Amino acid sequence: MGKKMVMVGMMLLLAFTSACSSTGNEENETAENNSTPGVVEEGPADPFGKYDQAITLTYGKEVDPTDKSLPAGDTPENNQYSRYVKDNLNIDTKVTWQAATGTNYEQKVNLAISSNDLPDALVVKDTQLRAMVKAGQLEDLTDAFNRYASPAMKSYMEKTNGVSAEAVTFDGKMYAIPSIQVHSDGVHQMWIRKDWLDKLGLEPPKTVEELENVAKAFVEQDPDGNGKNDTIGIAGQQNGGRLYANFLESTNNTYGLDPIFGAYKAYPGYWLKDDAGNPVYGSILPETKEALAKLRDMYANGLIDKELGIRKSASEPVVNGNAGIFFAPWWMGYGPLPDAIKNDPNANWQAYLLPLDADGQFNAHMGAPSTVFVVVRKGYEHPEAVIKMLNLLIRDESKFDISVPVGHYPLRVPMSYMDESEYSAKALQEVLAGTKKPEDFTDPGYKLLAADIQNVKKVKKEPYDNMDIQYWDPQADLGVWSRIYSLLVGSSSLQQDYNKVYSLLYSQTRTMESRWSNLKKLEDETFLKIIMGAAPLDTFDTFVSDWKKQGGDKITEEVKEYVK
Amino acid sequence: MRNRSFIKHYYIMLLPGFVWLLFISIIPMFGIAIAFQDFNPGQGIWKSTWIGLENFEYMFSLNDTKTIFFNTVNIAVMKIAGNLIVPLIFAIMLNELRLMVVKRWVQTIVYLPHFLSWVILSGILLDVFSYTGPVNGLLNILGIEPVLFFARADLFPFIVVGSDVWKEFGFNTIIYLAALTGISPSLYEAASIDGATRMRRIWHVTLPGLRTTIVLLAVLSLGNVLNAGFDQIFNLYNPLLYSTGDIIDTWVYREGLLNMQYGLATAVGLLKSVVSFVLIIVSYLLASKFANYRIF
Amino acid sequence: MIRETTLRSRVFDITLLVVLLLIAFLCILPLWYTLAVSLSEKSAAAAGKVWLWPVGFNFNSYQQIIGDRSFFNSFWISIQRVVLGATITFVVTTMMAYPLSRSPREFRMRNVFMWILVFTLLFNGGLIPWYMTVKAIGLYDTIWALVLGGGVPVFNVILIVNYFRNLPKELDEAALVDGAGPWRMLVTIYVPLAVPVLATVTLFTIVYHWNEFFHGLVLTSGQDHYPLQTLIQQFVVVIDASNMTEDQYKRMNELSNQTLNAAKIFIAMLPVLIVYPFLQRFFIHGITLGSVKE
Repeated sequence: MGKKMVMVGMMLLLAFTSACSSTGNEENETAENNSTPGVVEEGPADPFGKYDQAITLTYGKEVDPTDKSLPAGDTPENNQYSRYVKDNLNIDTKVTWQAATGTNYEQKVNLAISSNDLPDALVVKDTQLRAMVKAGQLEDLTDAFNRYASPAMKSYMEKTNGVSAEAVTFDGKMYAIPSIQVHSDGVHQMWIRKDWLDKLGLEPPKTVEELENVAKAFVEQDPDGNGKNDTIGIAGQQNGGRLYANFLESTNNTYGLDPIFGAYKAYPGYWLKDDAGNPVYGSILPETKEALAKLRDMYANGLIDKELGIRKSASEPVVNGNAGIFFAPWWMGYGPLPDAIKNDPNANWQAYLLPLDADGQFNAHMGAPSTVFVVVRKGYEHPEAVIKMLNLLIRDESKFDISVPVGHYPLRVPMSYMDESEYSAKALQEVLAGTKKPEDFTDPGYKLLAADIQNVKKVKKEPYDNMDIQYWDPQADLGVWSRIYSLLVGSSSLQQDYNKVYSLLYSQTRTMESRWSNLKKLEDETFLKIIMGAAPLDTFDTFVSDWKKQGGDKITEEVKEYVK
Repeated sequence: MRNRSFIKHYYIMLLPGFVWLLFISIIPMFGIAIAFQDFNPGQGIWKSTWIGLENFEYMFSLNDTKTIFFNTVNIAVMKIAGNLIVPLIFAIMLNELRLMVVKRWVQTIVYLPHFLSWVILSGILLDVFSYTGPVNGLLNILGIEPVLFFARADLFPFIVVGSDVWKEFGFNTIIYLAALTGISPSLYEAASIDGATRMRRIWHVTLPGLRTTIVLLAVLSLGNVLNAGFDQIFNLYNPLLYSTGDIIDTWVYREGLLNMQYGLATAVGLLKSVVSFVLIIVSYLLASKFANYRIF
Repeated sequence: MIRETTLRSRVFDITLLVVLLLIAFLCILPLWYTLAVSLSEKSAAAAGKVWLWPVGFNFNSYQQIIGDRSFFNSFWISIQRVVLGATITFVVTTMMAYPLSRSPREFRMRNVFMWILVFTLLFNGGLIPWYMTVKAIGLYDTIWALVLGGGVPVFNVILIVNYFRNLPKELDEAALVDGAGPWRMLVTIYVPLAVPVLATVTLFTIVYHWNEFFHGLVLTSGQDHYPLQTLIQQFVVVIDASNMTEDQYKRMNELSNQTLNAAKIFIAMLPVLIVYPFLQRFFIHGITLGSVKE
């Protein structure tokens, strides 16, 4: 026993001394740095600096259960991306546990947080980030970020006008690296059956009144020609779905009614500034009441899906060709459209930024730019490692072979130019029109563009400027078609001018933690009942006063403090 | 004496089970402390601040507390009743059937719904009760206007209870069937000789023979008086149904979504446990005082 | 059974048969529906066209599953879990039930232990302490976590105790005269007579272990160690659309492939459906107590 202890002691001593005398650059900063946890590394801060001694980084990984793309012998832990990180940075990434994208991964993270059993790093959501900060479980990344973040990463963040920085800063300190997502996920457009419009001799409806007329025509004039009275004008949410995106879940509200609210300049679920510059919650404003009144009428007149909010699957009416209109973001080429077209090859779904408000403008509430975050547990010796890994990813993503999805990159969070979708759409249009060549697009920040340009003619037939479904070939390559169709049909409309409305904040305040679920329940119940005619329109007013009394006013005060 | 040495063996027989129980069920009970704390995972249970009954106060301070509790008890009690009576009747019916082949097949088939999770069954229910679904189709044939079932808060508890009983009655039937085998056939013969008809035989022989099992299951099910069925309701409900369908567990879930507050969830769990425990003790005492019968 | 041939009795029998068959029919419908969806074409299922008959009949989903290594890996893990779980549970619960079925006169501490059991049935510390304890014992990511993680099935124990208690006292006396100790009594007398209830609780245990998916998620490190239901549950769960990435759009279609999900569900149900009839005979026929009366 004694001998063994001596051996161990000697080995530790050896390890310690060798660590101190590094072979790399050694500057004067070293002496101080070694004693401060969290700020290690000798020498000037190199965003891509390879570690002399291999370091280990453990993390929990979100995996896609349907993904079969890994070549034989590769695993989520050991694949082309993890090897790339090892080769370039000398970091050994180890997966402590993995779980399927969605609720499973969330549960594993929640469990890790609550039992204080954390790997070195994780990708978490906003609520989890706040819980971890509160629990004191995270390493302060302010310094590491300032010194190690690459110029590219810093520029991505700057483009969000400080919103993403705010999302990760608590008490002046930065506790996470935010993702930066395309803002097109937050813009909801009108997807409509152009073939039905053509058949009935109608134009895409620009105002809410025109929308009503078109929906009425769809319902009454049997546009699918099957002789049955089964057409739905406007398709809506399924059981448990959101009527509109709200500040906490601000993107991808497929099958919501967001644009109709926007047409009344109503932004329920969002925090806005009133005329005096004070924060106010969109759902209690008179514009929202107006929008609800109209929706109520539309529902009563049979223009909206009768089973709004209670049907099993919102996509079903779209897929089986019963619905004429629905509202969703740009990527529907991945959503219900492939199946819809399979069932009816003539289903010509086109997207528009409509309906417009009384001033002829399209109003869109915008999503939070950052929805997931990379965090490092307190006490981990190399917090800058995650920053370096992300730097590397940003720099080299366009070089990767993406037949294996880049989601396998350790601790990857999306970092894109917020306008990636519409930029790509424009680029593709120009290439198809012949006005630009593929070589003209050199910004590697648009990582998928090169592949898109290469692939576009596979699935798009001539004439290239006509987006109708007959001039596409989905069967040639469904995966490619999904993306290109989403870009050219879904994202191109985003190039227009439209009014972008941001929420004052995208996460909760203190009182919200205990009061919000109750307020939200009140809101959801009241609004759905009003629209479906189960409660009179004036219950809105009761709702407003109840909302204020049951914590709404207090929370509004807090928001005021927060945005100062 | 014989009995003393037997007791040593009794302890040995109990040992593996209780060790297993100790580790998995008893030791984790320390977590009940979380109900009285402002639990901070970074500090752990030992160091988190104690806030006494604050979590409970919060729960009772909300406007809908009464509604939520009422919904929970309403649905839970209906389920308890349904899940006791329906399987009993079914087991007796099955027992009376003489065609063995049909008996075995029917028994197997009615057990099947138990295997489907609520995630799947809720989808099926939403379809079955949809505006254009089979139930409305049936109503149509009967000349009744179609009903938007899942928009009706008044009908929701019945759909919930009905589908749950349908899902689980096969499972509970088995318990009764097993107990039925313990009734001596000579009792039936004696009754028949005395001139008893089918129904009387059931009343005087079958039911008494099942008495202990019925009482046992009834008392044990009291343990679920505040469990209205989270999985099922969560997958079926929508805001139109909150007034009758929002139960304690769905409310706790929505709270937890926003702030990961374990104190609240644990407090609620503790409350449920205490209520169930009190009910069970009371029924035990009643049974032993008035019927001279020890339930367990 | 008593045979009667009166008209009244015949009518009773026929009504009974019809009612039971109707109920059975209602119970098999959702399964039938799932089967029909699993054999249908993907877009047709997404369009809601499938009710009781497959649309676009094909075996694609099943072929995909058979070719999937992870499916069979998880299948095997589930089998191990069920066999180990059922065996250990059977032995432990039966052993526990015997002393607890003794009267307080014979075994003074009996009530204490019984109430401890009931207490644990009702009170628990919640997910976090349980998780931390199981991890601390060192069971994480092992088959034993799955086998033992659910704890003692107290409900089953109580059922067995109840059954034991209802067996005639004459049994004990006869055995004592023969010089039998508790072990011999348990094994040679009680267990054989309690076959109906033991078959019942064994079935419950098998079904529990086969269907349980949550422990499989939280007590393992990843898909390689998932039991079957945990594997399947990954696909059936709804994706949170507010945080989607490019890769996830691509997968949307696959994740929402109803026919594939239906096939997985159906295959996962099969083993229990096959085992069930074997156990069934123990609680339909049962062993009569006629032999004990003397």
